[in-house]
Amino acid sequence: MVEARATSGAQQGRAVLSCHDLTVGYGTRQVLDRVSLNFAAAKWHAVVGPNGCGKSTLLRALAGLHGVRSGSISLCGRPLSAWPRRARARRLAWLAQHAGITDLTGAEVVRLGRLAHGGWLAARQMEDDVAIRRAMVATGSWDWAERRLSSLSGGERQRIYLARALAVEAPVLLLDEPTTHLDPPHQEDVVRLLRAQADGCEVCVVSAIHDLSLALAADRVIVMGRHQLIGHGTVHEALAGGWLSAAFETPIDVVDYKGTHLWRPALDP
Amino acid sequence: MKGTRLATVLLLVLAVAVAASAAHAEAFVLRDDAARQVSFTRDPQRIITMLPSLTETVCALDACDRLVATDRYSNYPAQAEALPKAGGLDDVILELIVSLRPDLVLLSRSQRITERLADLGIQSFVLNSESYADIARSIQIIGRILGASARADTLKRHIAATVEDIGARALAQRQGLKPSVYFEVDRAPYAAGPASFIGELLTRLGTRNIVTADLGPFPKLNPEYVVRHPPDVIFVAASDAEQLAERPGWGQLRAVKERRFCSFTSRVTDTIVRPGPRVAEGMQALAGCLARVAP
Amino acid sequence: MFGARGTVSTPRAAVLANRATRLGAANGMALWLMGCGVLTLLLTACSLVIGTSSIETSWHWLWMPDEQSAVVLWQIRLPRTLGAWCVGALLGLCGATAQGLFRNPLAEPYLLGTASGAALGVAISLIAVDSTIGELAWAGRLGLTGAACIGAIGATFLTIALSRGVLQTTRLLLAGIVVASVLAAATSLILLTKPDIFRAMQTFLLGSTAFLGWPSVALLGSVLGICLVPGLLWSRGLDALTLGEDTARSLGLSLPILRLALLGMISLGTAATVGEVGVVMFVGLMAPHVVRETLSVNHRQLLIAAPVCGGALLQAADLLCRWIIRPAELPVGAVTACVGGAYLVWLLWRRNRDA
Repeated sequence: MVEARATSGAQQGRAVLSCHDLTVGYGTRQVLDRVSLNFAAAKWHAVVGPNGCGKSTLLRALAGLHGVRSGSISLCGRPLSAWPRRARARRLAWLAQHAGITDLTGAEVVRLGRLAHGGWLAARQMEDDVAIRRAMVATGSWDWAERRLSSLSGGERQRIYLARALAVEAPVLLLDEPTTHLDPPHQEDVVRLLRAQADGCEVCVVSAIHDLSLALAADRVIVMGRHQLIGHGTVHEALAGGWLSAAFETPIDVVDYKGTHLWRPALDP
Repeated sequence: MKGTRLATVLLLVLAVAVAASAAHAEAFVLRDDAARQVSFTRDPQRIITMLPSLTETVCALDACDRLVATDRYSNYPAQAEALPKAGGLDDVILELIVSLRPDLVLLSRSQRITERLADLGIQSFVLNSESYADIARSIQIIGRILGASARADTLKRHIAATVEDIGARALAQRQGLKPSVYFEVDRAPYAAGPASFIGELLTRLGTRNIVTADLGPFPKLNPEYVVRHPPDVIFVAASDAEQLAERPGWGQLRAVKERRFCSFTSRVTDTIVRPGPRVAEGMQALAGCLARVAP
Repeated sequence: MFGARGTVSTPRAAVLANRATRLGAANGMALWLMGCGVLTLLLTACSLVIGTSSIETSWHWLWMPDEQSAVVLWQIRLPRTLGAWCVGALLGLCGATAQGLFRNPLAEPYLLGTASGAALGVAISLIAVDSTIGELAWAGRLGLTGAACIGAIGATFLTIALSRGVLQTTRLLLAGIVVASVLAAATSLILLTKPDIFRAMQTFLLGSTAFLGWPSVALLGSVLGICLVPGLLWSRGLDALTLGEDTARSLGLSLPILRLALLGMISLGTAATVGEVGVVMFVGLMAPHVVRETLSVNHRQLLIAAPVCGGALLQAADLLCRWIIRPAELPVGAVTACVGGAYLVWLLWRRNRDA
């Protein structure tokens, strides 16, 4: 078993989310085996790995949506299970990979992101309206605030879902494939958005993105292999250590182009 | 046993009422079959009956003029048939009843309308009408309510005597032989057992029902049962009689081969299925057919 | 392209911008509610003049009442039509909630086995009335309404218990089917032993608004008020559920509490209607559909509009069943079944045409 390679850079910044010896499984199948990670505030962490390696499972477990077999997760210094439901929901926003089709308007969906903030009856408050508008403008979805989701394209819908996650205004953002359905210009915008959240709003962003070029724009990468965690650290450390090739079990070629790391597909015969 | 105790109580009440006065000015309380205490302060002059046997009872006590409406199945006597119809057993037309301003509504037990009538301030009285014993009881109680207790008494005695007579003659005519009978109520087949009203009449005529009492009043039989307990006479609707032979195994029955069937018109059937004052007519019809058809 | 990021001029401007866009939707809803209100008033007025007497006579009664006609109009027809509205409203509310809770547009209020439970309760009550078995005697005293109500609630408890309290939607649906079948079989067995209650049971099960008086209206009205509370409290939770169970949980929603509260509301509301008028099919299914076809709504608006629609629907059905073969009546459940069936056929035809 390859030892998980952690680096000294892992302790920089305060860790708002961390897991220790996390073991998670489905039925008899074990997906995560004694994984220990730290996620710092004001940093964008990208989780990469082949299909089925457990990226979604990791994010769901960190969000408290999946039972853990052993190990612990802590959020802002307290164990995840010790947080009351709504307090936790205010601190941790999660975006699903596959969302249900709904007949609500864009604004109503984004308003749901404020559910944990308002009272139960969730009377409309000034803060909610401001947060909603801010989130929708940030994702460029303000124009279809009053349109039904069923009448939007996949990309437009995805931006509404993203706005919903942003509207929570939580210090931790867990995003499972936020760039699904989006065309290249909008994928760029998502990357810029995540950058802005981490840098400007000091949010701890954890995203699972399967597009390597986009993922390598993050501050830190967590590379997961088919059976275990390969390593976590900065992008340079990942490239130097050949983590990506180890994870995908095939040579991954990354080139540096004008300061950006790009994945070059090996298309030569 | 319960019946005789009730009858005794009623006779006592009757005696007191007769002794008191003929003006019927006193209030009395009767317990109806829904366990309610109903008080009567005067003779009801406008009556609605919601069951054919109750209609016939009221008319048999010469109070037909007091009826203002009946249920849609009440077709005897002709005077009652001409009255407005206030619905069937379960779909009572409430508005019609209310608009006729009755003093009393006579109902059978199975109707939900009693609560609504009470809400609307209309007096109702529930009377079971299912067995032979209910006939005398109904006549007694209705007679008391109408202030016609003497007539009720006479009617009861007359009916009892006639029924007794018919039964005795039937037995005598067959010299004590008891033919076995099967009375089919429905094609399913549902049979009438000895515990039903029809069954009681047949028993009084000295027949033996192939259905035993423990099966209940209207058991749904396995058709094989009839083949294993062959009846001497089969009572069946005329339309069904033709295809009895086609039922598996029934073609071998002696009663089917020799066509020992008894069928009745609907007017005659009314007298057989309604536990009311025309029970003697019904018994006569049954006895007549038996005399013709039994081996 | 994403626009200028996050530069909100002032909070006040943002709010005003938001509210301007929301008003359009609110206007649509207000208009719709007013339309339904007018329809309800119209149907109520028609109910007052339609009955066993001719329309001219009833019209005459309104202006020159006498004691008799006052009873017919105000003690029979008015509570009947208002009671029908309350029943329709309850069924619409419970149907809309069931469809949201199970995320299935074919869900309807009886899916927890309520109808079969009520039928069994009615059967037991009918045979208990003269039973010599002491334990059953109390069932007879409850009356049909109480027995149907208790049977309905009992069936719901059985369904929830059978799904092992986990309250997952699929398991609940399956448990509901099982309970309905088992209780229907038990009812058939009872009918076999005493077939003379068959007609009374049939009449009850086909549904009838004929026995609704002012006490019934009071009961149904209060149950409606009680049931609206959990519905409106958890309407945003139902909205969140449409995005997926995991998303809803990540937003801080407690799914078990939501399910328990809403299931409780559905069983109470349905049991009350079954007790008063028997089984009325399709209203709970149709009302939310009609609302969604004519309006675009979130769950809070749906849970207000669906009762209003359901009430009008059942009022109209009650009117029809009294008018078609007057002075006799059709069972109201038969009328709603015909109308509901026709509506579903039309939906299918439209879907085929659009496909």
